Amino acid sequence: MTDRGGFEGLDSCVHCGFCLQACPTFLATGDESDSPRGRIELMRALETGELAPADPGVALHLDRCLGCRGCEPVCPSGVRYGRGLEAARALLTEHRGVPPLVRAALGVLTGTGDGSRILYALTRLVRATGIPRRLVGWGRIRFAMGMLAATKPQGGGRRWRAVKGGAPATDASTALHRPPPPSPALLFRGCVMDGLFSHVHDATIRTLQVNGYEVREVPPQVCCGALHAHAGLRDEARRLAGTNIAAFGDDDTPIVVNSAGCGAMLKEYGHLVAVGGRGEAFAARVRDVSELLAERGPRPGAPLDVTVAYDPPCHLMHAQGIAGPPERMLGAIPVLRVITLPDAAQCCGSAGLFTLVEPAMSRAVLAPKLASLAAARPQVVATGNPGCLMQLGAGLAAAGVPAAVRHPVELLDESYRAAGYYA
Amino acid sequence: MTGGSLAAALSEIVGARHVRTALPERVTYARDGLPTHRHVPGVVVLPGSRDEVVAVVRLLAALGVPFVPRGAGTGLSGGALADDDAVLLVLTRLNRILAIDPKNRLAVVEPGVVNVRLSAAAAPHGLLYSPDPSSQTACTIGGNVAENSGGPHCLKYGVTANHVLSLEVVLADGRIVQLGSPGGEPWGPDLVGLFVGSEGNFGIATRISVRLLPVPRAIRTLLADFSALRTAGEAVSAVIASGIVPAALEMMDQSCINAVEDSVYAAGYPRDAAAVLLLELDGGREEAVAADAETIAGILRAHGARSVLSAADAKQRERLWQGRKKAFGAMGRLSRDLVVQDAVVPRSALPDVLEAIGRIAAAYGLTVSNVFHAGDGNLHPNISFDGRVPGLKARVDQASGEIMAVCIAAGGTITGEHGIGLDKLRYMPLLFDGDALAAMRAVRRVFDPDERVNPGKVVPVHACREWSGLRIADRGLRIEERGRSLAQSAIDNPQSAIAPRGAR
Repeated sequence: MTDRGGFEGLDSCVHCGFCLQACPTFLATGDESDSPRGRIELMRALETGELAPADPGVALHLDRCLGCRGCEPVCPSGVRYGRGLEAARALLTEHRGVPPLVRAALGVLTGTGDGSRILYALTRLVRATGIPRRLVGWGRIRFAMGMLAATKPQGGGRRWRAVKGGAPATDASTALHRPPPPSPALLFRGCVMDGLFSHVHDATIRTLQVNGYEVREVPPQVCCGALHAHAGLRDEARRLAGTNIAAFGDDDTPIVVNSAGCGAMLKEYGHLVAVGGRGEAFAARVRDVSELLAERGPRPGAPLDVTVAYDPPCHLMHAQGIAGPPERMLGAIPVLRVITLPDAAQCCGSAGLFTLVEPAMSRAVLAPKLASLAAARPQVVATGNPGCLMQLGAGLAAAGVPAAVRHPVELLDESYRAAGYYA
Repeated sequence: MTGGSLAAALSEIVGARHVRTALPERVTYARDGLPTHRHVPGVVVLPGSRDEVVAVVRLLAALGVPFVPRGAGTGLSGGALADDDAVLLVLTRLNRILAIDPKNRLAVVEPGVVNVRLSAAAAPHGLLYSPDPSSQTACTIGGNVAENSGGPHCLKYGVTANHVLSLEVVLADGRIVQLGSPGGEPWGPDLVGLFVGSEGNFGIATRISVRLLPVPRAIRTLLADFSALRTAGEAVSAVIASGIVPAALEMMDQSCINAVEDSVYAAGYPRDAAAVLLLELDGGREEAVAADAETIAGILRAHGARSVLSAADAKQRERLWQGRKKAFGAMGRLSRDLVVQDAVVPRSALPDVLEAIGRIAAAYGLTVSNVFHAGDGNLHPNISFDGRVPGLKARVDQASGEIMAVCIAAGGTITGEHGIGLDKLRYMPLLFDGDALAAMRAVRRVFDPDERVNPGKVVPVHACREWSGLRIADRGLRIEERGRSLAQSAIDNPQSAIAPRGAR
């Protein structure tokens, strides 16, 4: 970490404006203050002291940034917008503290203590009643119910099986499939993923096993710290990073993660914990589940007769630069049809706690995506991030679009189950 | 009316959330794509419809408040900036494509429609909107109309003015007038031609009808690399002299090539080349275009091209073009600050002028990268510098002035497509005498008698009839010497250069 704390990442901006149309909030408001270029002006003025962190006009527009980093891959000068944003938010947080809603959400969602465990257990109980699904709607509470309902594991995949009791595809690649020697991988469980999406962890473990990985658990791990860093709590994020770095040891075993947001954060540990290069060594080991699977093919499964819209999470595509591997995963499922929507690369408005603390902007960003999904009518929307799964799930349900949301690895898992690989 | 009550009145029209008065918000509008100019507007207003535009303009007329129209703010002459006594009227929310009419090959759009989105919307009909400025993924059609924007493919197909059929314009007093007609030939004075390129001085275009062209059936894209700038410049003239009109003919020098190759838009340009030419040939028949491409490749080789590559497929063609179009944005890799110039010279003068630019850069110890529309002789020297170094900006201004003067002395002019705006005001007297400037001002007053729309831009305020100006009389002098002397008068003492000669 440099002494400018990330602001140096903004130096190469020459104000060309090529980022404007890649910014979901600029598209929603047309306002330069809600654009990457405008926010860079604000961040630069914060760094020089020309504008004060106390100025509500600064906070308003930096708070309204999703942090999707959609502006980064289109920037010809390689501006590190995300780094600058983190530095600016740290300054804001230093000045005004953490808003109570954010603090509460962080406490509930990212804790590792008994309190969080009990809360997640209660939440799962509520989810199991099926009540949240019936309450879904557009208001704050009803949307949150929709988000919770979207986390419910569903065995509905069976109806997509092309052949009852399905058999593995018998194309050449399957016939030639030789199980590679098992290699170890360490599972990063995270907080929300572990609390509400443990079925995705199970699918991750199973599908990796089929592809020659032996997935091991690392008990003393904690939350990745992404939500803390986004909220400007860099020291807390650094503390969590330190715990995780110690927990995952010093060897070079890959660390597999199935949440794009966590993956992006874990890959930033080198920037966050620069001391002794430990953060960097850790970051180099982090792999999205789709990367590991794509490296091995992955092994084709049984056909699923289903139409899937793949919606790449911003923190997978923009922050980690991973575009092809998830599609290769889905490509291993015969018959399954992947449709790509023109605005797929655009943020869904989830962005961690953003959907809770900036609901109006979050829904405005979600709206065009829902409209194109409603027109394309896929049976499943697949995306590899818990926030996006919940946001899209709640949005689709509220809009009455009959599509399920799934992590891509769940679909591969279903295909493998149908193929009898788990028998 | 105080700032507060003006904002309140504007809020009545457009809603409070579309009026920006807080300093941080106004600061985000203080620059356009040429960030060396910085002017913080008094109020920013974002109307959402034509009717709101009219209501806002009428209110401002009643109050006598000056205003500046702005699109995406990607302009490169400081044209879309407002001072704190003026209102910045931002048109990004007027972004609807109102009609695509494939039978009549035209589209009707609001001013905030992003250039590339119009072509995307026309594509299913096999049509496109031809003017393709490098900023087309961000800039708006309204801004294109104001600046009479060009772009690589304007070599064959013409600039924005050649593609605008009719305009609905809100004048400074809030009246709506129609210029041109969607179908027929223009009759009477060409008012559309007058409005296009008026840099926001004549009012706000709220509905724009543009011509759409068929997507060419056959396309060849060539990349030729050269070991010297001069030979690349000579090859440009040779290509044009061949009688074949390329759709586009662009040049990038080594510094620019490297900036692009370091970016996500890396296109596979050879890093060791002193310059590359990017050419496109298009037409209705594969064989004819292929034959033209063959001829052009031969000419390029005969004029010193080390290699000529032809894009293998649409994907490679797109990469080659994206690299060129994003080059300006990649300049931030060289240094944190940037100015770009925009001059046009006769094509035959390109080799001399490019070398002169190189010498000026060396003399001032500056990095100049060239990326430009070579076929049109439209130069864009980019000067990269670190504005934090004391005195460097002054040196950059001095060098810019000298480059501009060299271009004028070579028989060129001071803008090809970026407009005069604020940035080139100081060069206007190098090109036009007092009578000409006064005439421009008189035309402007037909549209805007109080000079309230985009005040202080385009025509230097000190222009007056008795001004006799600095004329380019002595064409015998070496262009650089003359350039330097012209530059001195304009740069060392800008006030004297734009003041009447008799007053000095």
